[in-house]
Amino acid sequence: MLQTAFNGFVTGIIVTLPALAITLLFGVLKFPNFAVGAMMTLAAYLVFALNVQLGWPLVVATAVAAVAFGGFLIMVDYLTFKPLRERGSITLMVASLGLGFVLENIARLGYGNTARSFAIELARPFRFLDIRMNREQMIIIGVSTLAMVAMYVLLTRMPIGRAMRAVSDNPALALVRGIESPRIIRWTWFIAGMLLAIGGVLIGMDRALEPPMGSSYLIAVFAAAILGGLGSPLGAFVGALIIGIVSELSTLVIPPNYRIGIPLCVIALILVFRPQGLFGQPYIRK
Amino acid sequence: MISFLILISIVVCFSAILALALNFQWGVGGMVNFGLAGLYALGAYACALLMLKAGMNTFFATIGAMVIVAVVCGVVAFVTLRVTEEDYFAIVTLGVGEMLRLVALNEDWLTKGALGLTGIPRPLGDLVPPEHYQYFMLGLSVALLLGTLWFLNAIARSPFGRVMRAVREDDVVAATLGKHVLWARVRIFAIGGAFIGLAGSLHAFYYQYIDPTQFSNIVIAYAFMAVIAGGRGAHRGTIWGAAVVMLLLEGSRFVKDLIPGIDSDQLAAIRIIIIGVGLIMLLIYKPQGFLREYRLQVDLK
Repeated sequence: MLQTAFNGFVTGIIVTLPALAITLLFGVLKFPNFAVGAMMTLAAYLVFALNVQLGWPLVVATAVAAVAFGGFLIMVDYLTFKPLRERGSITLMVASLGLGFVLENIARLGYGNTARSFAIELARPFRFLDIRMNREQMIIIGVSTLAMVAMYVLLTRMPIGRAMRAVSDNPALALVRGIESPRIIRWTWFIAGMLLAIGGVLIGMDRALEPPMGSSYLIAVFAAAILGGLGSPLGAFVGALIIGIVSELSTLVIPPNYRIGIPLCVIALILVFRPQGLFGQPYIRK
Repeated sequence: MISFLILISIVVCFSAILALALNFQWGVGGMVNFGLAGLYALGAYACALLMLKAGMNTFFATIGAMVIVAVVCGVVAFVTLRVTEEDYFAIVTLGVGEMLRLVALNEDWLTKGALGLTGIPRPLGDLVPPEHYQYFMLGLSVALLLGTLWFLNAIARSPFGRVMRAVREDDVVAATLGKHVLWARVRIFAIGGAFIGLAGSLHAFYYQYIDPTQFSNIVIAYAFMAVIAGGRGAHRGTIWGAAVVMLLLEGSRFVKDLIPGIDSDQLAAIRIIIIGVGLIMLLIYKPQGFLREYRLQVDLK
């Protein structure tokens, strides 16, 4: 029980980064991005190329890949979403779905369907209060916590983070205050790219690298973001932890194959009882 | 070669029915459906299981599959749209589609899991001689495609069709005019769902064997591609779109002979990449597609 809860905590921690990326992107661009799963996959394979094929240490490979991937997403946005920006959220969602297919299959084209893993040495799991944790899980918790703290500082203390929140809250008002939204959009993609790259690496460490690795988390990531309230960074964090723990604990009662049913049920319940999520603003239709 | 062309034409027919169903839901009704692959699988499995387990004949199994998919679609639309916006609806349909595929993959007692269902009967399979069966199947598929086209066209041009377009363009205005937006959306999604069920049934009849891998995301990719290329809301355009996309898909099998040293996984990946890029480029450069949606025209002379 405690062990399962701990595993769920780790799953939740993994989901926090992509959930945060989705919620930032939703806040600024106003559409749910279905390509984030595939983006994590592609970034993870980029790290794989640097780490295993070029032999860089995993930390260096991740750092370089995160920055490169952030830049890559700015370019992707310029090519795909920018021309569609004024076309309404359904068109953008369909475009993001198509983009997801493209990115995931670029990874498949390069590395096939076989599962791969990063070059990290195996270590014996250690015990603490009867809970078995392995080193990957410790790294996952550490890295995610660091990234979350960095995001918190960025969003509350730094001008660019405050500008992102301003655009997300009210684009027209932000414009009046002299915040240029194209610049903020570029920054948002860059930061989301870094979060997704790190998220992809963590998923790859927890399980294995294979093309559907990112998209298999997509429902859980959306559930986390919706549970916390789309557009609310703090909500994404709390939502991800709840989703992770609940879906892992659910395997005690339902077959583990249906684990993704839990996020789906959570989405349905949230939409029925509290559509704005735990931390979101109540939605007012204009 | 002739029989290859016939087989491709049959595939085009049921793909076109699937694309028409998506066009009805998304193109005319404005309700995006990312669970298409799972619902398509539901249609195929429902039809096959109604025959194999419940002993129904092909006709009633097809009707049953259409009803089941329609009910599932209606419930999804009702539960989600009662409270929220289209953005959430897309996410929920995606999740429902994934769930349906997981059920097909994991419930071994019902669906035989990854092994798939074999020995699915065909319509009039024991009356039509096997050497002529493909002609019969082609005739049946074309007839069903034309029937679907006629039926969906009739709805799109009826008063309810105008309600659909009004809801798509601006649901607040439609509601202000006294239209019941939620109920209209539930019906749109359920009617589209019925034809997803029909397409799934034909899929099961054609292959006589179904397994979960046949219902992968490429189904979603090509159906959206067909609808966008044909022009959202334009039913006939959707059929052309489906035909072109399926010919490209099937034709790309021969690419394997042109490029040496490429395996089938890579080929599949290239096909999806091409479809995805095509989808985005169509959205950017040709968002209205190649054919126009039906507009009521009145001759004033």
